[in-house]
This record gives sequence, C-alpha cells and structure tokens, in this order.
Amino acid sequence: MTTALAPARPAAGAGRATFAALAARETRRFALNPVFLAAAGLTAYILWSGQRGTVTDINGPNTAAAVLFGGVGMLVAFWLTRSMSASEPVVGVTPVTLPVRTAALCAVALVPFACGCLTLLAFLHFYPIGDPVYGAFSPPARIAVLVGQIVVPSLGGPLLGVALGRWVRFPGAAFVLFLLLSGWVILVMALTLARPDSAPVAVLRLSAPFALFTLHLDAGVTAWRGSPWFFLGWQLALCAIAVLVALLRGVEGRLRSRIIRALGIAGAAAVILLLLAGTGGFTHAVTT
Amino acid sequence: MAGPVLRAGAWPAVLGVTGVAVVVGGCGAVFPAAATMLFPICFALLAAAAAFTLDEPASLVVDVTPTGPVRRTRIRAVALLAPLAAGALVLLAAALRGLALPWPAAGLALAGNVLLGFAAACVARTRTGEPGAAVGAAVVLVLMAPSLLPQIARWVRTFPAPGDGGPSSDPVWWTVLAVCAVAIAISVSGRRLPQWKSRVP
Repeated sequence: MTTALAPARPAAGAGRATFAALAARETRRFALNPVFLAAAGLTAYILWSGQRGTVTDINGPNTAAAVLFGGVGMLVAFWLTRSMSASEPVVGVTPVTLPVRTAALCAVALVPFACGCLTLLAFLHFYPIGDPVYGAFSPPARIAVLVGQIVVPSLGGPLLGVALGRWVRFPGAAFVLFLLLSGWVILVMALTLARPDSAPVAVLRLSAPFALFTLHLDAGVTAWRGSPWFFLGWQLALCAIAVLVALLRGVEGRLRSRIIRALGIAGAAAVILLLLAGTGGFTHAVTT
Repeated sequence: MAGPVLRAGAWPAVLGVTGVAVVVGGCGAVFPAAATMLFPICFALLAAAAAFTLDEPASLVVDVTPTGPVRRTRIRAVALLAPLAAGALVLLAAALRGLALPWPAAGLALAGNVLLGFAAACVARTRTGEPGAAVGAAVVLVLMAPSLLPQIARWVRTFPAPGDGGPSSDPVWWTVLAVCAVAIAISVSGRRLPQWKSRVP
C-alpha cells in the first residue's frame, strides 16, 4: 500500500504546484487588465460620489458594482480564456491538461470576488444597514440582498466568461451575452412593475443572475416579493454550473461522467432554489 | 469586384448580432414599459454588428491588392444596410404598436449608433485585419454606460426618453455623426499597412 502510494504523492504535489503557478499567472493577467482596472476605479468613484448627496435609492450603486465587476469581469475573463486559443496547438501538447488550465482560469474570479467583498464593506459604510432605503427587509435579509447584488455577481460574471470562452468561438460572444443578460434583467423588471404580487413574475425576475429587491417611488420604498437567501443559493448554483461547464471542455473518461453527474445535481439544485426564491420571502410587495 | 469583396465579409457575425438585436428590440416593442431600456441595448447590438462589417480574415493578402481601402470600405459599407434596416424595422414595429417615442431623435440615435460602430472599425482596421470583436466590445461598453450606470446618465444620454427633463440625446448624436464622418475619411484615406504586417520581411 505504502509502495503503491509513495510515487503518487510527489506527482500530486507537483500537480498542485503547477496549478498554483498557473492560477497565479492568470490572476495577475486578469488583475492587470486595463479594462478591469478601469472598472474597479469607476466602481470606487461611483460609490464615493453616490454618498455625497441625499441617498434615497440603493439600486444605482448596487447595479454599478454588479455591472462593472460582474459584467465587465465576464468580458475580461472571456478575453483571457480566448487569448490562448491561437496557441492551442502548442499549449495542447504540454503536460498540463486543459481542465487544469481551465481551473486556473476559474481561479481568477477570486480577484473580482475580493473586489466585490471590499465594495460591500464600503457600501455598508456609506449606506448603514439600518437605513430606511433598504425597505421592509430584516437586517440579515438586507445583508443577503447586498451580497446577492454585489458580491456574487462579481464572482459569477468572470466564471461565466471562462465557460463561454471555453465553448464558444465567436469573439463577440461575451458582449452579446452581456447585453442579452442586461435586456433580460430590464424585461423582467418591467414585468415586475406591472405585476408586483405575482409569484411566476417573481420567479422570472429572480431567474436573472442579478435582480433588484426594492424600488424607490414617491410613496416610499417598495420591497418586492422573493427570498434574498434562496436567491443567493440560486446564484451560487449558477456559479457552480459555470465552473462545471467550463471544466467539461476537453475532459474524457471517468472525470467527464463525474462532471456531468455533478452538473445534473447542480442544475436540479438551481431549479429548486429558484422556485424557493420566487415563492419565499414576502407574499406581496410591501411599501414602507 | 464588389461581389467578392462583399462575399468575403463576416456575414455570420453581422447577421447573427443583428438578429439578436432584432429579438431584443422586438421585446421592447412588445413590452412598452421596457422599451426605453431595451431599445438602447438593441441599438448597441446594431453598432456592434456594424463593427464586424470590415472584418477581413484574409487581410494579409487583401491589403496589398490594387483595390484601395477607399473602394473596399465603400463596398463593405453596403453591409451597414443590414443593421440599419433591422433598426428601422424595430422602430416601425414600435410605432405600429403605438409607442410614444420621439421618432426623429430615435432615428438619429439609430444612425449614430451604427455609424459609430462602423467608424470605430474603420479606425481600428488600420491596425488589424479583424477589428470587429474588440471594437464591438468597446462600442457596447461606451454605448451602454449611460443605461447601466445611472451616474453617467445624469451627464449624457444615448437614447431619447419621452417627456422627461434629462439631457437630450440629439446633440450627442449630431456630434458623433460629425466626428465619425471625419474619422472615416481620415482612416480610409491615410490607411497604412497594419503594424504587424510591416514586420513581415
């Protein structure tokens, strides 16, 4: 037993070292991308400038963080993934397999995720959790709303970019998907405004990877139906699906069947969490 | 000459992105409450489609043929009819459904979006053979900034909203049209060989 395992340990250690080196390299490329740096700077400016006047609505800065870290992060991750495609005949014969390289690319999502966490802390500093702009949600639910609007999109956007880069050859796929997702968020928001108390519409609204939970009107702040906690679960399931779909490219044998099985489980969990998100929380829109 | 130059264009990209734009714009026409937000997305996609019209995978060969950049660009500009016609179709559908939009301003915004994508592609084409993807992404980010980031919408607006007191989009698009015309003229007349090509022995 010892004899059988002994040679495997150095190999596993070398594999981990290779992965760490690759992940560090890709993370550096992502963090130094000028578009991502501009997005981070713009987020900081929007947060800082937003709190100078009287704050009546949190949706502006929230959306900015999701768009800049999630949306722009997706574009950058897609470029990063596609940038090596021309070198695939050379890179493909190195001892590092495609799934390991994909996993290293997925690790870059930790950069915007960390930026999202910092943004959340800054947001809580500028817009304290007891503020009435958060609507009728309880303080823990308010935190869940913010995590779902700032932190998780920052993680999920780049992961989606990696998955897209692995599977789609069209170089404009990322910005087309970015616009389609934006369109979907806007469309389901319009439906929510028309039918705020409908459960199917709530499910549709929360089916987007980014969703608003409140709206500021003249009458006050309206908190829409839906559970922020289950929505967080739905978003995390989407992140897991994005990683698994990205890893599926170039995998063969037992690992492939294991990934497909994991995808099935994650997909089922995502559907259940989405239904719970749409039917949980307030049963109707609450204006305070 | 016009036939082969047109046939060599990146038609799948141009028509594909235009098709997606029609779907998004169609949703805007069907759901009037979301129209003023979905139409800018539709127009940004049309601008991105326009950015693909100058893509030339065989630029290494094509750029040294006797057909000059002015003529090639003029022929390829015919492909702009696709995004322009698609945008006009979306606006027509919205008008038929009774949407109350400032139509001349919306038409100007459509022309401005498409021309912006094409002009940016013309400028980038002096440096690379396939500027579509990079230019499309850049144009989309610029055009969508006012729609997605409310702080920017306070200063500049890229789509005319009916009956509110925000900044008008017309001055923006007249300026863009003028700048684009100049940029296209300069980039086409003074087009050099792409830099990477000048290193080829």
